[in-house]
Amino acid sequence: MPYIKEERPETLSVEGEWNIGATTWKANRLLEEFVKGLKQKKLIGSLCLGCGKVIVPPRNICGRCHRRMEGRVVVSDKGTITCFTYTPPAARGKYKVMGIDPVEMGVVQEGEVLVPVFVRFDGSDSNMSLPLIGVDPKEVYIGMRVRVVWAEEPKGELSDIVGVEPIK
Amino acid sequence: MWRNVAVIGCGQTKHGRRRDVSLAEMVEDAAWKAMEDAQLTPNEIDAIVVGNMQGFGGVAHPDCWVGDWIGAPGKPVMRVATGGTTGGSVGQAAIYAVASGMYDKVLAVAWEKHSDSKEPGATTGLLHVALGNLAHALNYGLSLKHLIVTQAVGAAAGVALYQARFYMHRSGCRIEHLDMVAAKSRRNAAKNKYAHLRWPGCTPEDIAKTEMIAYPFRFGHICPASDGASAIVVAAEDIAKRREKPVAWVKGLAAYSDEENQLMSESYGGVGVLDASEQMGCRVSAMKAYKMAGIEDPKREIDVAEIYQPFPSQELIFAERLGLFEEGKAWIALEEGEMEIDGRMPTDPSGGVLSTNAIGSSALQRILEAALQVMGKAEEHQVPKEVRNAVAHGWGGVTNYITVTVLGDSPR
Repeated sequence: MPYIKEERPETLSVEGEWNIGATTWKANRLLEEFVKGLKQKKLIGSLCLGCGKVIVPPRNICGRCHRRMEGRVVVSDKGTITCFTYTPPAARGKYKVMGIDPVEMGVVQEGEVLVPVFVRFDGSDSNMSLPLIGVDPKEVYIGMRVRVVWAEEPKGELSDIVGVEPIK
Repeated sequence: MWRNVAVIGCGQTKHGRRRDVSLAEMVEDAAWKAMEDAQLTPNEIDAIVVGNMQGFGGVAHPDCWVGDWIGAPGKPVMRVATGGTTGGSVGQAAIYAVASGMYDKVLAVAWEKHSDSKEPGATTGLLHVALGNLAHALNYGLSLKHLIVTQAVGAAAGVALYQARFYMHRSGCRIEHLDMVAAKSRRNAAKNKYAHLRWPGCTPEDIAKTEMIAYPFRFGHICPASDGASAIVVAAEDIAKRREKPVAWVKGLAAYSDEENQLMSESYGGVGVLDASEQMGCRVSAMKAYKMAGIEDPKREIDVAEIYQPFPSQELIFAERLGLFEEGKAWIALEEGEMEIDGRMPTDPSGGVLSTNAIGSSALQRILEAALQVMGKAEEHQVPKEVRNAVAHGWGGVTNYITVTVLGDSPR
């Protein structure tokens, strides 16, 4: 094999960039339905008429029945934590998400501990990933009852759900 | 009915940060080693299957680049990309091609070259995978903070830590057991000259000293982003039987797509599998592959397993799903040393994905390492017992794909 050299220090490197440019994807109307519900502080799920599963937020196709989830139901905004994790306190320059330093951008506060949880809302058969708010991670447990923290004035967008908080 | 197929040649590169070679040179290295091992010249190969992650390393069509380097001119070349399972799918596609009777000798090559990307984790590639979903959610007013907390909790690491939490909750496995798996992987990798993170004598205490990334994963639990390539040559029964050197027979294979298992995938939809560590796709694939292989009791009949485990919890979860241990009991077997190289059921004697992760190549490497164990050619990390059957596993897609391949020392 004449091409491969066993030990070769850093060879010529060529600089370049690859931006993932603008694209216009065709979307379906599912999220539109979901955020319309959020405006009225309602969580809408899709119901599979084949197996009776309810998925929140809605999905188009039931993954196991392979049929369109044609039904729509409103589920409770109270639910149960099925899974959780937490991060160490955030610090400037500690980590980047997609090239963004969240502390530097002011999205996450210095020292803030993020607690992403999976919530199974009452009346649904699915997990939704949401931030848990105002709880010391040491106090979180699987099975904890939580409710949605709604934005003061829901505008019909995904950020109308601020997160979930424990039911006292 | 399908024709019998055997792995007759294996080749892989040294893994690590390979700034010494270009992508094509690296891929060539593995491909030629595999052909040399199979005692074939490029002219004798009938067809080639290649694969890596889409867009990783900043190359959109690496298959077009590496063609000349691996002896492709004049032959059919097919590129396969299925996320983390890419290597498993590449290997299985090569096996299909021979099993179907279409070709007699097929080369399968898979690779990844992370270090060509300036940002860690091949951001361009990851965005390729996720941008559609993220853009969708952002268009419907998902706040950036919400995005960071939930959607971008860390790609595969995020998904894997949810799996780990579910598994720990239902089985009683503790974070100390994750330390034990990680330490075992680093020690095994130290015996594998091709591996990336090699740490002779690594102890669970060493791992426990590393920083917590996101509960329950410490820095020491995380796989590296490696550069490297692996390749196998598969051949039909009559060719394999003429070999003087040992070969590894393909006894069974299966793959599964579990669409309910996707986390916040199309249209931000909820995930329909309530227990992320359920991994039914792996159980179903394993059952199918074992049935093909005529294996009734994998606990007894499988001698060694190469599990796709970028995170230590996955070695335990998938070992159970492959039927190698009782439900929820793999961590107890780990405590008793059963998963060590010289244990009853060695898992990842090569160090596995936890110590070497050139993503596109990782699942093909599992098939390759299982084949080496069957052939008795794994050198320093060869398990010290007779290997009749070995199982190789792959996990990937948007957390929804599984590949399982069973290799053995005799044809079906």
